[in-house]
Amino acid sequence: MEVGKYGLLQTFADILKLIQKEYIVPALADKVLFTIAPVIIFVAVYLGFVALPWAPGLVPANMNLGVFYVFAIISIEALGILMAGWGSNNKYSLLGAVRSVAQMVSYEIPIGFVIISAVMISQTLDLQLINYNQGILAKQDILFLGFINVNHVGGFLAWNVFQAPHLLLAYVIYFIASLAECNRAPFDLPEAESELIGGFHTEYTGLRFAFIFLAEYAMMFLVAMLGVTLFLGGWNTPLPNFGSFKLAEYTTGIFWGIFWVMGKCLLVVAVQMWIRWTLPRLRVDQLMTLCWKVLTPIAFACLVISGLWRLLLF
Amino acid sequence: MNIETIIFYFLAFIALASGAFVVLSQHLVRSVFMFFVTLFAVAGLYVFALADFVALTQVVIYVGGVLVLLLFAFLLSSKQSLEGMEKIPSGLLSAHRLPAAIISLAFLFLLCFVFFQIDFENLSWITSAKAKENVILVTDNTIRNIGINLMSKYLLPLEMVSILLLMVLVGAAHIARREPNL
Repeated sequence: MEVGKYGLLQTFADILKLIQKEYIVPALADKVLFTIAPVIIFVAVYLGFVALPWAPGLVPANMNLGVFYVFAIISIEALGILMAGWGSNNKYSLLGAVRSVAQMVSYEIPIGFVIISAVMISQTLDLQLINYNQGILAKQDILFLGFINVNHVGGFLAWNVFQAPHLLLAYVIYFIASLAECNRAPFDLPEAESELIGGFHTEYTGLRFAFIFLAEYAMMFLVAMLGVTLFLGGWNTPLPNFGSFKLAEYTTGIFWGIFWVMGKCLLVVAVQMWIRWTLPRLRVDQLMTLCWKVLTPIAFACLVISGLWRLLLF
Repeated sequence: MNIETIIFYFLAFIALASGAFVVLSQHLVRSVFMFFVTLFAVAGLYVFALADFVALTQVVIYVGGVLVLLLFAFLLSSKQSLEGMEKIPSGLLSAHRLPAAIISLAFLFLLCFVFFQIDFENLSWITSAKAKENVILVTDNTIRNIGINLMSKYLLPLEMVSILLLMVLVGAAHIARREPNL
């Protein structure tokens, strides 16, 4: 039952549907908080994109605290969710909000650790500089697996995950924790309408509901882009230079940069969706056990290895 | 008036107005959410003082941590204890409010005294720093400065804070642990 050939027009039909729908504000809701909450959630996520670089020399706001900025701005979303849950004045919404905020706050810890372990390898918090140091435009020596200089080879060999192989594990942790961070399956307890009567957005309709879900999908893209930038080379090409075939040099530039970063991010988002339709939901105690007893210790180990890596190899 | 001054006064106004709302509002949850606006405006003022790292830390710790904690504490506390709060007499000079009023007036007096007493443009340490060009510019990489100072000049305080935090963490884990055989 899709609109258009292969469902190509489905998105537009959904937009029209959501715009037409009636706003329903529950009679006992806190009207101010209920109205503001979706806007805060939406703005918090979109502010994160300000610091993310798209190509060499193409970044909306070049700041030397980029990584920290994105991490800080994402944490505002939790407040918007609590606001939505409280404003609805409905116990299921409130419990849903508490559940998803507890989840987001917990999973911020492993994310923080693995981000720091990647930052320790690249030695800067400037997202654009992190990108530069993962390709042929690098301003410092880059060593494949910590031994072989690949400044002129570039390609995937220069990505952070291949500069220091333990970051591969760190990226897996980042990916799992980022799924929980955007409330995606298998951690989508806020959306579990079949078991838990939905979550903080139970009472929302129309464009407000659309805002909450736009924020969720923007968040997926944001965490994908941050992960790609920190671990998978950002806008750097995956093709290395082969002797006289200067593939890396041919495929580096503004348009290639946008192409590569877009391609990588969409690939990661596709994996996120693939996982959503594959894995069943976790129970809330399993979710917390996974975070505190599995991911956090491994993330901490990654951090220690990063420190030793810097100390022993440089 | 250039654009920076306008933005500065705008942020200062938001910080003061929202702070007044936090204190005066009878609606506790709205107060907490308004506190978020105050913290954000103050973070903006930190950016004006070229302390962008402090601004972001404020957002991470207060908005992402302390405010969420405040709200959780509010949600988990019982309705009776909140009703008890409303029974506190609301006159400004009542026994509950008098100490707070005295302390805040004293602090206001102190601030005004300092403000009118000191000529900020000609303080000796500011003029000497200007003469030696020992000033931070907008284009400087501030975080590098913080990192080097933390790892050299202020290493002992940093370590002491980290030990304190570790003790807090161990204590929190101990409190949260399930009591055996109870």
